[in-house]
Amino acid sequence: MIAVQARSVPAVETIDVTKTYRVGHMSYPALKGISMKIAKGEFVSIMGPSGSGKSTLLNLVGALDPPTSGKVIIDGIDLRKLNEDKLSILRNRKLGFVYQAFNLIQRLTALENVAMPLIARGIPEKNRRDRSLSTLKAVGLLRFANKRPIELSGGEQQRVAIARALVTNPALIIADEPTGNLDSKTTSELVDQFVQVNEQFGTTILVVTHNSEIAERTQRIISLRDGLIEKEQYLKRIDSYPNKAIK
Amino acid sequence: MRRRQEHMQFLDLFKLAYKALVDRKVRSALTILGITVGSAIILALIASSSGLSAGITSNIEKTGANVLTIRNAGGFFQSGSTNTYQLSQLDVDYLKTIPGVTAAYPYYSYGASINSGGTSLQASVVGMDLSALPVLYKGLTVAEGYLPLAGDVTSAVIGWGIANPVSGTPIDLHQMVSMSVTGIKGSKATVSYAVLANAILSQYGTALFSNIDDTVYISFQAAQFLAKTPYFSGIYVIVDNTDDVANVQNAIETYYSDNVRVISSGQILSSIQSITGQLTVFLGSIGAVSLFVATVGIVNTMYVSVMERTREIGILKAIGYRPRQIMFMFLSEAALTGVIGGFCGLLLGYVLSFLMGGMFSGLGGEGRGFFGGGGGTIQPVFSTELIIFSLVFPVILATVAGLYPAWRASRMNAVVALKYE
Repeated sequence: MIAVQARSVPAVETIDVTKTYRVGHMSYPALKGISMKIAKGEFVSIMGPSGSGKSTLLNLVGALDPPTSGKVIIDGIDLRKLNEDKLSILRNRKLGFVYQAFNLIQRLTALENVAMPLIARGIPEKNRRDRSLSTLKAVGLLRFANKRPIELSGGEQQRVAIARALVTNPALIIADEPTGNLDSKTTSELVDQFVQVNEQFGTTILVVTHNSEIAERTQRIISLRDGLIEKEQYLKRIDSYPNKAIK
Repeated sequence: MRRRQEHMQFLDLFKLAYKALVDRKVRSALTILGITVGSAIILALIASSSGLSAGITSNIEKTGANVLTIRNAGGFFQSGSTNTYQLSQLDVDYLKTIPGVTAAYPYYSYGASINSGGTSLQASVVGMDLSALPVLYKGLTVAEGYLPLAGDVTSAVIGWGIANPVSGTPIDLHQMVSMSVTGIKGSKATVSYAVLANAILSQYGTALFSNIDDTVYISFQAAQFLAKTPYFSGIYVIVDNTDDVANVQNAIETYYSDNVRVISSGQILSSIQSITGQLTVFLGSIGAVSLFVATVGIVNTMYVSVMERTREIGILKAIGYRPRQIMFMFLSEAALTGVIGGFCGLLLGYVLSFLMGGMFSGLGGEGRGFFGGGGGTIQPVFSTELIIFSLVFPVILATVAGLYPAWRASRMNAVVALKYE
């Protein structure tokens, strides 16, 4: 019963979301009304040409930027009702980010980078260390725990970033062109990693990509064009999802 | 529990700030150097000028605050005077009648050269009631022998410096001391005189205008005989209570108008303390200016640091750091700069203040210097307040300097920050 209720709340829901950027007297509509639902445990990709509004949508879903109109609901929480502090807490507890440029802090070791979100949450050091180490182990980087990003390859750095996104056990991982800086072999390994995280931990993943090979390994492709959803394509039947989403 | 968790968290944020500071070693070191120098200069200047003040104060305080020195107005610095008014026994008698005055000791004072084993020493010769010596100079004791009885014209009390000259033969107790006395009441003649060293004083230093160590004290009668005049060089007036000193001084000045000058050690002390106080403020403000410049340096460093780490701030925002956590991290960096700078400043300032002691030498300090001739190194004074101030003030300044950059960091737009190249 509880499982059914939990499943009934989508990980992400947007209701008629628009975003217009204003520069001086000029308005640039980036999103013109996006409504979508992403179920818990789903692995979804967003595709579209440059300027179609992919990154804007990701910023709104990532609680980094407010929409001009419409609602963004993360794990049942309407973001409009949250102030700056509560949005930070929501990002910390419900969301994980993976970027094209890895965005690791260079002076910190892999372990310290992974532990960063836990410091913001006030988790004691011992507990932090244990959780970060087990997450690094899950992405196969335990032996690099004390290496700095500069000592790691691009693929390894991105896996550290995935571990950092994963360490807080988030409801949703948002990945913006995560393989954009990687070669094809590493890209394939990294997609394996995302699939593994999705299947093993049941983590909902929303990935923006230009790469159709990556998109084809997700469960649904949402295509954007000119700030609107152009089409949605289901690659697997939704009821075939693993039920590991309910934790 | 939650409170404890928050404390832990701030400790972790502080550690992150420390790592960020260590990461930019050279820049951090240069910023810290600025603070160190500023704070060291303040500390050293204040400690040295306090030392100077303490040195002068201790010299003056040796003459009791209840002692007034009366001299004729023209003869302030030189013995003998061209002023028409002359101090005599009549004045002593009058002074004793002023309410609050317990005693009045007339004295003669001349310059002399002492012949000791073939070496000639420059000294002062003071003739007065020798039993008054311990009353006039606090803590002055006889090291060897005993004070001559009143009227004993052949005995003398020898200052420590005369008895133990830097070069030449020391004068022993009961040894004959021959001297050539000059400058008696304006006369250019030299009078030779010999006395027995009946007592040798302990080392004392300078008290107000007299260097006790370089003085030979003879009996009043002997001095009067040498001077061949009933007019004194001055009169020491002892007041029963320090509270009455001002009244007695007023009474004397009113009675004598401009004919005499009344010197009160308390008054000199307060005016000198006011001068050294101003000196301390002046020197302290020079240090404050350099610390202010260092503070501007921190603002600059922190601001550049925030700009350089814009992307990092974006990451922190994305992974859920709250604005106040980010602000705390950057403020910690600034404060840490102040803590390290303040501590290094304390060490450097300590060393610097002893070097500055040399700069002020000759003005005051250890017994010699100030009015008393000679010169010594002044001993810097480090009060607890000064030490606390020099540790805390840089931290406060650095934190204030970090406020604006830290605030900017905490208010950054995450989306813009993440795009920053």
